[in-house]
Amino acid sequence: MIFLRRQLPLLITFVAGVVFAAQYYVPHPTSELMLTEVTKWLQIISGFALVLGVTSLFHIHAVKIRRKEPGWAYSLILYGGILGTIAAGFSYSFTAGQWVNGKETINGIVTAFGWIYSDMMVPLQGTMFAILAFFIASAAYRSFRARSREAALLLIAAIIVMMGRVPLGEMLLPVSGDVTQWILNVLNAAVRRAILIGISLGAVALSLKIIFGMERAYLGGGKE
Amino acid sequence: MTFAERMLHIDRRIIFLVIGVCTLLPLLYPVGLAIKVSPEVRGVHDYIESLPEGSVFLLSMDFDPASKPELQPQAVALLRHAFKKNLRVIGMTLWVTGTGLADLVVSQAAQEMGKVNGKDYVFLGWSPGVGSLIITMGQDLYKAFPSDYNNQPTRELAVLKGIQTLRDVNYVVSLAAGTAGIESWYVYGKDKYKFELGGGCTGVIAPGLYPLLRSGQINGLIGGLRGAAEYETLIGQKGRAVAGMDAQSATHVAIIMLVILCNVFYLLIRTSRGQSGQPRG
Repeated sequence: MIFLRRQLPLLITFVAGVVFAAQYYVPHPTSELMLTEVTKWLQIISGFALVLGVTSLFHIHAVKIRRKEPGWAYSLILYGGILGTIAAGFSYSFTAGQWVNGKETINGIVTAFGWIYSDMMVPLQGTMFAILAFFIASAAYRSFRARSREAALLLIAAIIVMMGRVPLGEMLLPVSGDVTQWILNVLNAAVRRAILIGISLGAVALSLKIIFGMERAYLGGGKE
Repeated sequence: MTFAERMLHIDRRIIFLVIGVCTLLPLLYPVGLAIKVSPEVRGVHDYIESLPEGSVFLLSMDFDPASKPELQPQAVALLRHAFKKNLRVIGMTLWVTGTGLADLVVSQAAQEMGKVNGKDYVFLGWSPGVGSLIITMGQDLYKAFPSDYNNQPTRELAVLKGIQTLRDVNYVVSLAAGTAGIESWYVYGKDKYKFELGGGCTGVIAPGLYPLLRSGQINGLIGGLRGAAEYETLIGQKGRAVAGMDAQSATHVAIIMLVILCNVFYLLIRTSRGQSGQPRG
């Protein structure tokens, strides 16, 4: 079984890795056709990942409920939320006279699924994100202190950028707009680019290690 | 406990109240401060402005309801501009949780501008895969989306006439709240299929996209609510973003004042501890 567990996946990874790395440079119709087919497979596999994610979520929360772990009632709410939304998505809209089929509206008529989405999910997610502003302000007051030269420099840059990103700030300190642009375009872009290059080189190195079978963590553990 | 120490340990609910008041008052009594347009936002606007009538504009609304306050005004402003220019608009999303929102944004903007679904615009919806979806669209748009969000076969839509792949799209703008978003469209799309790409994003991720902007990988960037307000100013249709800028201005200044105050109290404590020989905190 070692062939099926180890050697075959490594072989598939090597062949697929080499072929599709080369495919990018070969614009022949056959090569393009192969890419079209394979990416369609990938899309289908990605769809299954969604099912896998939901199944895993159900499993984790079922265990929490069964063991009555702290906060198990939230898991129950989650179950209710997921099952209720799925049921609404598959339900029949008597007002519209057809199956909802995961649509928020049918011919301008809001479905039960649409109501859950627009009147529960949208405001709840918006509220969660909006609360951040309050916590950021509180955290900034408590921890954004010039404890060292570096911290002071960061503090000054942050204040200038915050001023330069809003009309009132630009009105109070007219130079802040231009200085903000310079900070974002020069200092920030240079540092971000360095990080991006580092990440990209790391990704290339990791890809090569995976293609050539030097990195095998993706195969998982288990007996050989 | 000295006054400075007491002020440093102020009840956080007072800070919440300050931020709440600074947000609410400008929304109730808008001032309408002048908004300066940045070159990044002008880049997106000018490119759309330069497109001839009937050009294909793809707007990928890659966000969920959490980022609605920042990215929906951007989407509305872009759609109004594109419809005004009589471009053929393709809407879609890479975020499954944003599908309903994106559909609503496109259909409302289209209705407002008197555009017809299937003829002037189409909303393709969501499909799984991100990278593989973009590549599939680059290879064959109809394989990626055989039908649109309203289950109409895409091959029969007048708006998609003559469009086979992403190579036939004149301009793509991704409005992103994170990954998947602008970077995905560049890496899997623009690099191979050679369409022009612009971006819009939440304020928090905007600094991370500047390298793409400076290198020309994207030709413009609409950052946060400020970017949306700039775009609304450019198209001369002031909306929610311009209205929200006063509130954002007030909260930014309030946070700056709080940070300055906190540092003044902190320095006072350090100085007094230094004078009395106590260790500095």
